[in-house]
Amino acid sequence: MNQRFLFSLYSPRYPESIIYMLQASEYQGRAYLKWLWRVKDFSLVQHRQSLKRTRKAKLLLLALLAGMGLEILAGLGLIIFGIVSLNNADWSWPAGVFLLLAYPLIWPHLIVIPLEIGRAVFVLPNERRLIKAADQVFADHSGVKIAVAGSYGKTSMKELLKTVLSEGKKVAATPANKNVSVEHAKFASRLNGKEDVLIIEYGEGAPGDVKRFVSYTHPSYGIITGVAPAHLDKYKTLKAAGEDIFTLAGSLTGNNIFVNGDSDGAKSFIKPDYQVYGHKGLGMWKAEEVTLDTKGLSFNLINGKTTLHLHSHLLGRHQIGPLSACAVIALELGMSKPQIEKAVSKTKPFEHRMQPYELGGALIIDDTYNGNIDGIKAGTELLKELAAKRKIYITPGLVEQGEETGKIHRLMGEYIATAKPDIVVLMSNSATGYIKDGLKEAGFKGEVQEVKDPLTFYKSLDLFVAEGDLVLMQNDWTDNYA
Amino acid sequence: MSKTKVAVIFGSRSAEHDVSIVTAIASIIKPLELSAIYEPVPVYIDKQGRWFSHPRLKDIALYTTGQIDDFLSKQKPLLLQMGGGMKITWPGIKPKSVKLGAVFPATHGTHGEDGELAGTLEMANVPYVGCDMPSSVIAMDKALAKTIASYEGIPTPKYVWFYSRDFMGDNDSVLTKLSGLTYPLFVKPVHLGSSIAISKVNSAKELINAIEVAAHYDDKIIVEEAINNLIEVTVPIMGNASPKAALVEQPILNSDNVFDFESKYIRQGKKGGAKSSESAQGYSKLPADLPKELYAAAEELAIKTYKAIGCSGIARVDLLIDSKTKKVYFNEINPMPGSLYAHNWKKSGLSNLKLAENLIDLALERFKAKQKLTTTFKTTYLKQY
Repeated sequence: MNQRFLFSLYSPRYPESIIYMLQASEYQGRAYLKWLWRVKDFSLVQHRQSLKRTRKAKLLLLALLAGMGLEILAGLGLIIFGIVSLNNADWSWPAGVFLLLAYPLIWPHLIVIPLEIGRAVFVLPNERRLIKAADQVFADHSGVKIAVAGSYGKTSMKELLKTVLSEGKKVAATPANKNVSVEHAKFASRLNGKEDVLIIEYGEGAPGDVKRFVSYTHPSYGIITGVAPAHLDKYKTLKAAGEDIFTLAGSLTGNNIFVNGDSDGAKSFIKPDYQVYGHKGLGMWKAEEVTLDTKGLSFNLINGKTTLHLHSHLLGRHQIGPLSACAVIALELGMSKPQIEKAVSKTKPFEHRMQPYELGGALIIDDTYNGNIDGIKAGTELLKELAAKRKIYITPGLVEQGEETGKIHRLMGEYIATAKPDIVVLMSNSATGYIKDGLKEAGFKGEVQEVKDPLTFYKSLDLFVAEGDLVLMQNDWTDNYA
Repeated sequence: MSKTKVAVIFGSRSAEHDVSIVTAIASIIKPLELSAIYEPVPVYIDKQGRWFSHPRLKDIALYTTGQIDDFLSKQKPLLLQMGGGMKITWPGIKPKSVKLGAVFPATHGTHGEDGELAGTLEMANVPYVGCDMPSSVIAMDKALAKTIASYEGIPTPKYVWFYSRDFMGDNDSVLTKLSGLTYPLFVKPVHLGSSIAISKVNSAKELINAIEVAAHYDDKIIVEEAINNLIEVTVPIMGNASPKAALVEQPILNSDNVFDFESKYIRQGKKGGAKSSESAQGYSKLPADLPKELYAAAEELAIKTYKAIGCSGIARVDLLIDSKTKKVYFNEINPMPGSLYAHNWKKSGLSNLKLAENLIDLALERFKAKQKLTTTFKTTYLKQY
C-alpha cells in the first residue's frame, strides 16, 4: 500500500471520486467494485472526465457523505468515551480509532447495497414489465423487423441501413447505441405501427443476451456484423461470444441472415445458406472498379446484367461489405436502383467511427469508438492504402480483451506494422508492452512513442501534426480502464 | 531513459518582451511537452532582468491576466552556475539545482536575441538553439548585416546609416549624407525587430520626424531607398552547414508598404484586404504568389544571406522584390523569428514538435562540433615572468 493511495483515501475529493466511479460504471455493482479494488491512487480517478451532477449522483453523494460523517462521529464518540470512561471500557477507543480510519474503505462498499436492492426491487421488475409490453408491440407490428447483432460495428450498420432504406421506406431504428432490453422496450413504446421497417440493434454483453432479444423482438431479417474479442470478461471465450451472437441466425431462414464474411471470428459460424457480405461484395453481387481516397469510396456492385453505381462518403475498403448488404436488402424490400444509388451517396461516417477531419493541415481519421481487432485490421489497411507525406498511428490499445489481451495486442502490433506508419504513438497502459512486442516481431522500423498523459496529448494533437500528415486514431481507454 | 532538460529562456528587457512570451510558450514549451526526448524548463526573464523558473510560468494565462507581477513577488530569482555546462538553482533552505542539457533562447530584440544571451551561453559552454553570438550581433544590426551582405555580392537597397547622436549634434551633415538617396525612403532603428518604429517618408520634413522617432528607440539608424513595384517576402531557414528553407511567405503590407507590428501581431491581416484563409496566421500568402523562377531566386538568395551572415539553427530572411525588374534584394535577417514562424514550417510539413526538437538537435550537433576545436595553446610565455 503506497503513500499516494493512503493520502488519496482521506482527500476531500475522495467521496466524489467514488460516486464518479459508480456513475462511469453505469451503476453496475460488479464493474464498479472491480475498478474500486484496482485503483492505486484515487486522486487520479477523475482524470479525463469528472462527476456529472445528476439527481441520482447527488443523492448518492449525499448518502455517502452522511454515512462517512456518521462513522467519523461514532469513532470520535467511542474514543472520547474510552478516555473518560471509568469502567475500564478499554475496547471502545481502539474501536473508535478503527472506525475513524476505516470509513474510506467501508462506505465505498456499503454504497453498493442500496443500489443492488433498488435494482432487484424496482428496476428489474419494471424492466420485465416494459419488455412484456414490447414483446406484444413487436409481435403485432406488420413492418419488416431487422435485427443487427455482432461484437462490433452494430451502430454503424444500423445507421447505414437506416440511411439507405429511408430513401424509399418509413424506417424506425433504435437510437444511437441504445441497444439493451430496456432501450428496446422504450423504442417499442414510441412506435406508431405505420413503419415499413424497424431496425433493432442488439447490445449483447453476456451469454444468453441475444437469445433473449430475439425472443421478444421477433426479427424477420438478421445482420451479424462480426465476431471479435469483446466483453470477454463475461463470455470468457470468443467461441462463447460467437455462439451467443449466432443465436440470431438460428431463429431465421438462411436467406434472411446476412453475415460479415470479412470477420475472422464469424467465419466458423457461417452456414452455406447465409448471405455473406465482404470487401468483394455479397454472394452473386460482385464489387468492381473500387476506388477509395480520403473523401470516400466508390464501386460498382454487379450481378449479371444489373449494376449499381455506388458512391459513399465512408472511408475504407471494409465498408464495401456493409454497403453491399444494405443495397441488397433494399432491393429485396422493393426499392429501385436509382433510389438505392441516391441513398448510398448520402451515407457518411459517424462520429468517432472512421470519421475524417482536418487539423493543422493534417487529415485525422477518428476511429476512437473502435474497440475490436477486426476494426484495427480495417483501419490499418486503410492507413496502408492511402497516400500521405507522413503517416501516424495513435492508440491506447483495446479494452475488455480478457485472457486474450496479450495475444490480441501482439496481433494488433503486427497489423500496425503492416500499414508502415512513420510514427506509432501508444498511450501508456498495461497493453502497451504487447503492442510493442507485436511491432517488433513484425519488423517495424518506424518511430514508436509512448505517451504517459493521453489527455494532454490528444488536446495538443495540433502541435504533433503538420501539413500532409495522415493520422489514424483508434480506440479509447476511459478512466475506468486506466 | 530520462529526458534531456531544455531551458526555454524568454521575456527579458526588450520592447518585444510580450512577443517572446508567446514564442516560448506556444511554439516551444507546449510542443516540447509532447516530446519523448526533451523536457522543457521555463526560464522567464522579467522586465527588470531577473531570472525565474516555475512550472506555472508555462501558463500563458499568468501573463494575459496580469497576475505575473504578483506571482513573481512570491518567487525567488534563479541562481546561475556556469562552467562545464550550465546549472540553474532555485535558492532556499534546501536549494535545488538542475543541470541543463540544452538551452532554447526565445527572446526577441535587446538583451537576448541581439547576441547577449548567445554570448552568455557560449561562456557557460552549454548547447543552445539558434544563431551564435557573432551572427546574432550582425543580424540584429541592420546596417552591419547589409554591409556584409553587400560585400558577399547580395543585392540590397541603397542605404546610409549613422548614429543618432551624430544627427542630434549636427543634423545637417547627416542630411547631406542622406541627400544621395532617392525618395521615398524607409527610416529604421537598426537593432529593433518586429518592425517597431519603422517609417516610410516622402520628403525631407517627414524624414527628420521619422529619424527623431527612430532615435527614440535606438542609437543607430539606417535610412534606405524604397523598392518600386514592391513585393515583400520572408523565408524561414533552418540548419547548420546545410540550411533548408521553409516556404517563401508573402506578408500583407500596410498602406505604407510596411509589414508593421500591428499587421504582424495585432490585426493579423484583418486590414489590408487579406482573407484569413490566406495563411496559417491570416496575414500573408503562404506560399507566396510568385512566378516559379522568382520563387526559386528568393529561396536561393535567402539561403545565401543566411550563410553569409554566419547563421546557424534558425533565422528568417526578409527580401524585397521589384516585380517589374524581377530583382530580389536582401532587406533584413531575424535570428529568432517570432513564434519560430511555426505556421510556415507546419505548412511545409514540419510539425511544431518536430520543429522544436530539430532545433535542439541542431544545437547539440553544433555544440558537439565545437567541442572538437582546440581552445588551449601551450606556450612558454608565463615562464619569462
